[in-house]
Amino acid sequence: MEKVETAETQWKQNILDKRVKRFNLSKSPTRFYSPLANKNSDFLENVGFPGQYPFTAGSNPFDFWRAYAEDAAKMGYRPDWGGASGVGKYGGFGTAEDYRDYLIRMHAMGRTGGPNMAFDLVTQCGYDSDSDYAEGEVGRVGVAIDSFNDFATIYEPYVGNLEIDKVPSNFTINAPAGIIIAMYAVLADKRGIPLDKLRGTPQNDILKEFIARGTYIYPPKQSLRLFRDICVFCTRHMPKLNINSIGGYHIREAGATREQDLAFSMVNAAAYIQTGIAGGLDVDSFAPKQTFNAFGGSMEIYQEIALQRAARRIYARMLKDRFQAKNPRSMMIRQPITAHIGCSSTTLQRPLNNLTRAVVGGMAAGMSGGMPGVFPPYDEPLGLGHSQEAVQLQLDATRILIYEAKVADVNDPWAGSYFMESLTDDIEARAMAEMEKIKNMGGAVAAIESGYMQKAVSKSAYEKQKQIERQEEFVVGVNCFKNDNEISVNVNREVEASYDPELIKSAEERQKKKLKKLKRQRNSKAVSSSLSALKNHAKDESANLMIDMCECVRNDVTLQEMCDVLREVFGEFQQSKL
Amino acid sequence: MSQKKTNPKMTNPKKKIRVLVAKPGLDGHERGAHVVAYGLRDAGFEVIYTGLRQTTKQIINTAIQEDVDVVGLSILSGAHLSLSQKVIEGLKSQGAEDIMVIVGGIVPEEDIPLLKDMGVCEVFTAGTPVSAISDFISASISSN
Repeated sequence: MEKVETAETQWKQNILDKRVKRFNLSKSPTRFYSPLANKNSDFLENVGFPGQYPFTAGSNPFDFWRAYAEDAAKMGYRPDWGGASGVGKYGGFGTAEDYRDYLIRMHAMGRTGGPNMAFDLVTQCGYDSDSDYAEGEVGRVGVAIDSFNDFATIYEPYVGNLEIDKVPSNFTINAPAGIIIAMYAVLADKRGIPLDKLRGTPQNDILKEFIARGTYIYPPKQSLRLFRDICVFCTRHMPKLNINSIGGYHIREAGATREQDLAFSMVNAAAYIQTGIAGGLDVDSFAPKQTFNAFGGSMEIYQEIALQRAARRIYARMLKDRFQAKNPRSMMIRQPITAHIGCSSTTLQRPLNNLTRAVVGGMAAGMSGGMPGVFPPYDEPLGLGHSQEAVQLQLDATRILIYEAKVADVNDPWAGSYFMESLTDDIEARAMAEMEKIKNMGGAVAAIESGYMQKAVSKSAYEKQKQIERQEEFVVGVNCFKNDNEISVNVNREVEASYDPELIKSAEERQKKKLKKLKRQRNSKAVSSSLSALKNHAKDESANLMIDMCECVRNDVTLQEMCDVLREVFGEFQQSKL
Repeated sequence: MSQKKTNPKMTNPKKKIRVLVAKPGLDGHERGAHVVAYGLRDAGFEVIYTGLRQTTKQIINTAIQEDVDVVGLSILSGAHLSLSQKVIEGLKSQGAEDIMVIVGGIVPEEDIPLLKDMGVCEVFTAGTPVSAISDFISASISSN
């Protein structure tokens, strides 16, 4: 090492500095990493083998899709994005009937994955379609769910080979997650399917909703109480169901820096684990069911690879050291998507460049333990939905990375790189310093209540914007290379007409009509008694509300009626001023 | 130029231009709204941010009560046409049509002329520097 040190000093003086001087610079515009960058690195302690603690080199020795990659190519298999775990394409619109009919059409095309539900904002925020808040929003960004009837309607085509003990479901919902899980449990019960056969993933990551995305209802503490009830209920009765899907990328897309994204997601993850333990569960009984949803979100390929490595290591050590997990599966980050550029890296200006950008994200994913998924489609920022052309290009780009470039043939190809190991250490150290800061504030809940994390994210977003405006950061076609010599390249765009705009338009009326009918026909005594049980138990911190929610669901209590009762007891979260 | 109510800010040039940055509807994507609010504040405007989940009625009331010169609507939900229409009509019906309405967010190109026809002064889509928004506001208010 001494030899290297001497050589490095001489190189700096004799070679590097001369060149810097020749170009009249104050410092070198590039860096080089020698063994001195991480002298003390212990391979087994800090990297290890893929699929082994501390999982720096990967959560698995190889991903499950890799086992079938060659067969998939021979068969011409066309996967749905995000459908890796057996669910279909993320989607949903209109009424439950509209979404059901859409799923039937998908099944006819051979796309038989389980429902991967997007809910409209009305449902996500705990309102019914007849609420004042619902006006103009019903069925718009997802399907509207007011009652169990709606939920059951969606599952009408899921029978026989597609019965709910055979296909998994995804529910992208947070504040009312417990109610949707209760609907799933009641559906299984009515169909005579044991709860322990159900598979699927609710997003159920309410803490990040306070920091980014904004579909919270109750204050953070009360929200975690609901998380506890879900966690305990699922662990006891639905052990195959994942408990949550923690979103790093939502926080990043809202403007967080890489280290903030990592730190905030980790303190949120820690809060969930802590809550499960406080609910009386053994950490290894539920931690393997905690999942993540794609850290990352920038064009900086090296940093994004290092972020994945750092995230896996931080999580593994946190679970082992702080939470005393024994099962390696508890320490492992399970996420369907790894690195990616994030939709906020795409530009409206010269949009076809977004394909090039997304390929960089696919490279980063392939080199950091995931499928080299090229995402998003280039027309993401154009705002009319993804076109078939854009999706074809995205799919083919992923295939080219897998089969022609063979990006995913080596696990953690950067392991042992002086540069990558040192970068991983840096990101880890910065994220851990931020985690420590939040721990000292009292953890994720306290840092949300005080507005710390929210403000940090918007300040970072503003900082980034200023850097772009000052040309300290360059975005091609946005703040540079935009004079008249540049040409805009356009390709045909045929937007897939999977969602009929007329149906979306009429969804509110149709949904309201159904709701009116339901309220007339249901047993109002059963409604009020199950609601008052929910209310009483909400006041009793020791009660598990999942049982009451199941009872409410069974009695056709609506989603908003349940949420309103909880609003009365728990209160509603008020975001602090900007 | 048509007869307009005298804008008190115009008679007193030292008074800052007041901008309401508003998020109508249930959409919770706040990055754009936050960045614009910070940027306009730094550019010397007085900025009020409504926070999330505002009905158009609430936005109109706040705009009038706070006596703002500009309402900036941040919309990423695809509902920009109906939401903007409601805000513009609401302001008009309250005699506050002198308040300038601008829109930012994800707006397909073909919708921009429709928004302008209904009275939206300008539409700012992704990639717009905040300085372009502040320049536009300053120029429009002082030429009024």
